[in-house]
Amino acid sequence: MNLAMLKPGETGRITAIGAIGPLKRRLMDMGVLVGEEIMVRKVAPLGDPIEVKVKSYSLTLRKKEAQGIEVEVLK
Amino acid sequence: MSLEPKRKEEGEIAAKPPLHPVAKRTVTVAVAGNPNAGKSTLINAIAGSRLHVGNWPGVTVEKKEAVFSFEGQTIRLVDLPGTYSLSPYTQEEIIARDYLVRERPDLVINVVDATNLERNLYLTVQILELGLPVVMALNIYDEAQAKGYKIDVAGIERMLGVVVVPTTATKNRGTKELLEATLRTAADPGAHRPQRLNYGSDIEAAIAGLAAGLQEKYPQTAENYPLRWLACKLMENDAEVAREVRIDPAELANEPLAHLRGAHDEDVESLMADTRYGLAAGLTREVLHKPELRKTEMTEKIDRIVLNRFLGIPVFLAAMWLVFKLTFDLSTPFVDWLDALFGGPLKLWTAALLGVLHAPVWTVSLVNDGIVSGVGFVLEFVPVIFAMMFFLTLLEGSGYMARAAFVMDRAMHAIGLHGKSFIPMLLGFGCNVPAIYATRTLETPRDKTLTALLIPLMSCGARLPVYALFVGVFFASHAGTVIWSLYVLGIILAIVMGLIFKKTLFRGETPVFIMELPPYRLPSFKSLCLHTWEKGKHFLVKAGTFILAFSIVMWFLINLPWGVHNQADSYLGKTGRVIAPIVEPLGFGNWQAASSLLSGLMAKEIVVGTMGEIYAPHGNAAHDQAPPPSFGSQLKGIGSSFVGAVRQAVANVTSTFGIASLSLGGMAGSSSLTTAVRHNFTPLAAFAFMVFVLIYPPCIPAALAIAQELGSWKWFGISFFYQIVLAWGMAFIVYQGGRLLGLGG
Repeated sequence: MNLAMLKPGETGRITAIGAIGPLKRRLMDMGVLVGEEIMVRKVAPLGDPIEVKVKSYSLTLRKKEAQGIEVEVLK
Repeated sequence: MSLEPKRKEEGEIAAKPPLHPVAKRTVTVAVAGNPNAGKSTLINAIAGSRLHVGNWPGVTVEKKEAVFSFEGQTIRLVDLPGTYSLSPYTQEEIIARDYLVRERPDLVINVVDATNLERNLYLTVQILELGLPVVMALNIYDEAQAKGYKIDVAGIERMLGVVVVPTTATKNRGTKELLEATLRTAADPGAHRPQRLNYGSDIEAAIAGLAAGLQEKYPQTAENYPLRWLACKLMENDAEVAREVRIDPAELANEPLAHLRGAHDEDVESLMADTRYGLAAGLTREVLHKPELRKTEMTEKIDRIVLNRFLGIPVFLAAMWLVFKLTFDLSTPFVDWLDALFGGPLKLWTAALLGVLHAPVWTVSLVNDGIVSGVGFVLEFVPVIFAMMFFLTLLEGSGYMARAAFVMDRAMHAIGLHGKSFIPMLLGFGCNVPAIYATRTLETPRDKTLTALLIPLMSCGARLPVYALFVGVFFASHAGTVIWSLYVLGIILAIVMGLIFKKTLFRGETPVFIMELPPYRLPSFKSLCLHTWEKGKHFLVKAGTFILAFSIVMWFLINLPWGVHNQADSYLGKTGRVIAPIVEPLGFGNWQAASSLLSGLMAKEIVVGTMGEIYAPHGNAAHDQAPPPSFGSQLKGIGSSFVGAVRQAVANVTSTFGIASLSLGGMAGSSSLTTAVRHNFTPLAAFAFMVFVLIYPPCIPAALAIAQELGSWKWFGISFFYQIVLAWGMAFIVYQGGRLLGLGG
């Protein structure tokens, strides 16, 4: 299960970040860390990117990047 | 932290704090913080018009600085780019951290968004690692209070060992206290040493091992850098730092570090990020108390509409239409007023003045047609640029820009662009010059460059008079369709060129799209105006000089060799003759057309003016003028026409909410010109000519904007070259293809 598969309103806990190098570092710097709760808020009108809530703020990223973030669904 | 701040510079900055440390010299303060933490608003509130805007050396990232006096002490404020971290992955992060590490400011003001403590503190933790004295501005404090957040300010001070000042930059609250705290801390850095944060025994042991190794093997390097910071970076395998200090982290291997690597799959970098976030999270838990019941926030409510699946795009298009309309409607009357002022009274005055001074006749022409026209030409861009920068700053500051990128990213990404590219591209339909300046809202150099390269294909307002002339003569019955087809052709070419550039010049690099959607906020009016003023001034100084120089060069081309009477014999005419064979296959291989295109490099609407002079050179206006009106009445006229311009701007803005229609009336040239055009062009050649005008390099100001905004003449060259080639190619296809199809030649 990865972040791109969550539907708006669903929350997951990050279990692994598949990205490497700068992308991984960038995600971590933005608070996308293993163990963190992440909620999908919205999908853009054209289907990509998505808006997520992490560390109580809003972040947007493309589905391609979201696919590299493994999550387990909560609730 | 236990480290003494190391200072590289000798001389004016003493190695140890002197007894009266800040009495004589300037205190250098770096301002660091997350994007959207209100950093620029805070700086604007503190430094206001004393801000000087430039670029960081070698890059196009803006650098703001201000020198001012506060309570008798000179303070130099340096604004670092907004960053989420001090890792070396974005240009902004590298700049910020290089400045902090190499320049060693006396103090760092860390601007922290009080409504988003945890993520902001992550950067704070990294800044503290550097061992510099820090003062924290707990900004956006009013909003945090309004949300019911209870923040234990004294708790943060105690745990981090830094002075914390709550501020609300938009209302100029807390700024005086912030500066006072800054001076107190700078006066006695020893007493305000930040706490050394504990990363846990395993990591601390590895850091200590590395630090000891550094001191032993590289005493000089250990002396020049904050030791703990350097040890952390080498532990994280930070390639940027390792390269700079020329140390292979493997050399400093030690037992605790090897243990750490083994236990965490070699990924110490992630471990450090986790640990830093852990510290930030722990601190946040201690000092922040949120109310139990969370209200639905304003931002969420607005986003329900603005980012709605079905409404998102219509809302976006409406917002863009509004910005576009307001920008150009608000500025056009002032542009016209400046045009009239520089075209009329000013020229009469300089002519009169030079007459009194008995200056030769040719100087009148040089001053008027070269210099005054050039200055006027530069100034005519100012209203547009000011208006656009104002709205752009508003979009950015309010938080909508990030939403616009969110909504449009999918479409723009298809041609290799970023969601935010849409806005500069759209503005290009009004005027390419401010549109190119608008690319500074884009984050990565790649997105900025690609967008700036494609903007010239957006058919700007200055091309309309050319279309109007030819369409009026040849395609009057299908005027709308023909002009519309040119606009569409520009868009299609932009898509095609975007795809080509993506596969060639920008192959491989695919910048990621990971962006914060900040809460909606109302930017302060003062901050908005200051931003607008900075940008406008920037244009005037930088681009203005070049444009003026080009205008004077054009004058010489038209008026030399000495005593030339016929345009055909001027250098411009002669160059036109040389170029004519090159454009022959496009259907307009005569020197008149070629010369007009050449002069159109200055500005596309000049094509029509030059054609008027070349094809219909009768009635030299200078000779049969009525005696000029008195100086006083002219001044009065200028004043009243300015009032008229203000009225028109207001009327335009109000009518924006009514019906807008494209008016072509009054744009077509004189009847002698239309006759000449009818004789010299076939309809097919006319269409090829319009296609050429659409695509060939927009104008010198736009080309200069590209050079300036991208900080390199290389892109100026690439942009110029590809547009010339593409223009020729497309006009060739249109003309020769049309002939093959039997559309006449």
